[in-house]
Amino acid sequence: MLERAAELLVYESDGLPGYHRTPSLAVFPASADEALAVVRELAREGVPFVPRGAGTGLSGGALADGAVLLGLQRLKRIIDIDPVRRVARVEPGVVNVTLTKAATRHGLHYAPDPSSQTACTLGGNLAENAGGPHCLKYGVTLNHVVAARVALPDGSVVELDGDDGGYDLLGAFVGSEGCFGVALELTVKLTPNPERIVTLLADFSSIDDAAQTVSAIIAAGILPAALEMMDQATVGAVEASIYAAGYPTDAAAVLLVEVDGAAVGLDEDVQGVNRICRAHGARDVRIATEPAARAKLWQGRKKAFGAMGRIAPHLVVQDAVVPRTKLPSLLARIADIGAANGVRVCNVFHAGDGNLHPNIPYNANDRDESARVHVAMRQIMQACIDAGGTITGEHGVGLDKLPYMDALFTPDTLDGMCRLRDVFDPERRANPGKVVPVRYCRERRPGKLMVDGRGQMVDGATAATITAESGA
Amino acid sequence: MSAVVTPLDHPRAGLDSCVHCGFCLQACPTYLALEDENDSPRGRLVLMRAVVEGRVAIDDADVATHLSRCLGCRGCESACPSGVPYGHLLEAAREQLAAVRPLPFVARVILWAFARPAVLRVALWFGRMARDTGIAAELARLPGALGFPFAMLASTARDAAVPWTPRAARTRGTVATLDGCVMEGLFTDVNRATERVLAANGYSLCRAPGQQCCGALHVHAGDAATARRLARANIAAFEASGATFVAVNSAGCGAMMKEYGQLLADDPDWRARAAAFSARVRDASELLAAAGPMPGAPLPRRITYDAPCHLEHAQKLTAPPLQVLAAIPGLEHTPLDDREQCCGSAGIFNLIEPNVSERVLAAKMRCISATGAPVVATGNPGCLMQIGAGLVREGRGAVARHPIELLDESYARLER
Repeated sequence: MLERAAELLVYESDGLPGYHRTPSLAVFPASADEALAVVRELAREGVPFVPRGAGTGLSGGALADGAVLLGLQRLKRIIDIDPVRRVARVEPGVVNVTLTKAATRHGLHYAPDPSSQTACTLGGNLAENAGGPHCLKYGVTLNHVVAARVALPDGSVVELDGDDGGYDLLGAFVGSEGCFGVALELTVKLTPNPERIVTLLADFSSIDDAAQTVSAIIAAGILPAALEMMDQATVGAVEASIYAAGYPTDAAAVLLVEVDGAAVGLDEDVQGVNRICRAHGARDVRIATEPAARAKLWQGRKKAFGAMGRIAPHLVVQDAVVPRTKLPSLLARIADIGAANGVRVCNVFHAGDGNLHPNIPYNANDRDESARVHVAMRQIMQACIDAGGTITGEHGVGLDKLPYMDALFTPDTLDGMCRLRDVFDPERRANPGKVVPVRYCRERRPGKLMVDGRGQMVDGATAATITAESGA
Repeated sequence: MSAVVTPLDHPRAGLDSCVHCGFCLQACPTYLALEDENDSPRGRLVLMRAVVEGRVAIDDADVATHLSRCLGCRGCESACPSGVPYGHLLEAAREQLAAVRPLPFVARVILWAFARPAVLRVALWFGRMARDTGIAAELARLPGALGFPFAMLASTARDAAVPWTPRAARTRGTVATLDGCVMEGLFTDVNRATERVLAANGYSLCRAPGQQCCGALHVHAGDAATARRLARANIAAFEASGATFVAVNSAGCGAMMKEYGQLLADDPDWRARAAAFSARVRDASELLAAAGPMPGAPLPRRITYDAPCHLEHAQKLTAPPLQVLAAIPGLEHTPLDDREQCCGSAGIFNLIEPNVSERVLAAKMRCISATGAPVVATGNPGCLMQIGAGLVREGRGAVARHPIELLDESYARLER
């Protein structure tokens, strides 16, 4: 347990370095029983709390502003792996890639592979319904969690099982961003390793050509395991890092395409992708079949976000999703918005899913630049919403996307979300101030602190004023 | 441009390149052992930034604790996509810390002795006596941190090597070797073996009298001033030798000497000399790998290899030590899980933070046991003694050896 100011500083941020919120206390239970005891004590005292895994989230979802931070990284036991049923039972603090490593000797892996998979925890993946490059073919976290033992914020324990009859409460819990309770144990599916995997790298002299190629591949009936796009700015950052993958730095955009499955017939897909890329103006298509060569192509993509630190000290990361066919026009629009605001947008994203990650590296100490970055972000998000998209694909709403919820949902829908939350956490003590704007989800507790629309703890009177000013 | 106020301010650009992605967490032995982000690279960078921004004082007890508990293994640098120069930031933070908060007594005594060749020679003589009379092995049985230093000492014992005379036709250049404090004092045989295998691979050896401790322990502890003094003495000594290469068989010393250029970057009289010197420094395994190396006679033995952090992470040398081992026919090499993770030695870390070091070593020993190998090869005196002590205490008769010792033994068999 940490309570001293200097030590709590370290828990002020998650993977999004622009936000800082200081917890009142940080608690790190060493077992599921201890975690449950903590949740029960918090319930008895009526104290708000925020669950946190490895703190790699990109939406400010694990920030605790004056609330108690419940760190689950010590619950890192893989309880068992059943290679016959192809499931694993794990504690929430197990790191994503650790499970895959443990399953390798059975020829299995855990399919959802967020780029932070070497650091992020499965409990965090569950909370955010995390995705990853290979989710195009294999599905997101939701499709791979079979059951979860959950401590509800009131301290009661429920078993959520996706295969039980009745309403899919597990489905509701996955992606609830820590607002519905704390998973103490997860049962997840393991996926057989494909017989053969081929990774292709195609480089284009125009972003538009690359974007057109994405839809053309899917339209041809090929379902790649992954279909990723990186623009020139991103490639430059990656190639300057220790994860340099040999991407051509003069390309306007590169596509990383992976096809996998049974060895028989895979070559047809490889040649199909190759042909489509070249027909859409690819300057070159590299084909990697050896594990080492494939790993090298992938590591550049997976570490791209971290490599942004080479451009500027701070970073805003977005996670919008748009219909795949709208990618070409939207990428052009994003470039326009970047230019109009004088900011540098780096695109690295899951193109096959239409899941954009426009990143803007900047210096937060430069007030003028900060302001321009935030204007650009808002315009980009609005453009995505206008194109029929949504504001988050896999990072969650957290604190960072809270301001866009109004633009996307009607008050009735937001109210519905609050009512769903009430089923799990009627006191609204779990991860307060996240996901749904506070004026819909009034996190008021008599005589206690409450959370305002910016996720900050304020006293009841101040919050009432804010609520009134915001017109709710 | 604002004036440089503190050592930590100076590499500020390095501090700023951290985007808080967290990819370093699982690469950090102290985070894995202690499970608190305050004991992780990302957490320590937050603390350093808070110091620079004036949010906490450098001598805040918690800041000091977490900065002191870092092994300095730089495993995080090998995981960092943004290229945060963590090792240099840590040294800067410790330099700043040392100015306001004295090092622990044990650390001060050790650093004092290492900076004085005469004192160190006497101390190491006593060490050899304790080892060779068997006293160290007896005292190694003392429980916990009390017996551990004696187990380290006992683990350096060797059977007398069979001397052989290297023959080589062509010359690949002249080499002056760094004797090293602990290497020459406790691993004398390894130093002689290094000279033999370098000669056998075509290098002409020359001496560099006047050389001293490399200063790595001092820099890591925050005493940069002493390290600079030692660096100047070494640069002068090796310049006088006229050697093309400076060969180092201690990963930690090699990493330090390759960074003399940075250490003396603010010294106008020495900057250029230091950079030129650093460019000539090679780990002995690099020189051997460049030469082939010449294959030896079969040495049927089961081994596993542990990568010293200052080879793997600081010098980014993964392949050369493996190439040295590959030159020995008959070696059966079982790969070690997490071989790139620190063993917990980290210079004098195991003596001043014994509890953390013990937990880090425990994880390493589990992986070593799983291989079942009776020999652990690793090319750094700290790691040899740390893992060696672990093996002494384990009592199954396994030993830690420098890869060059094994190559030397293989070459000796060629002569028979």
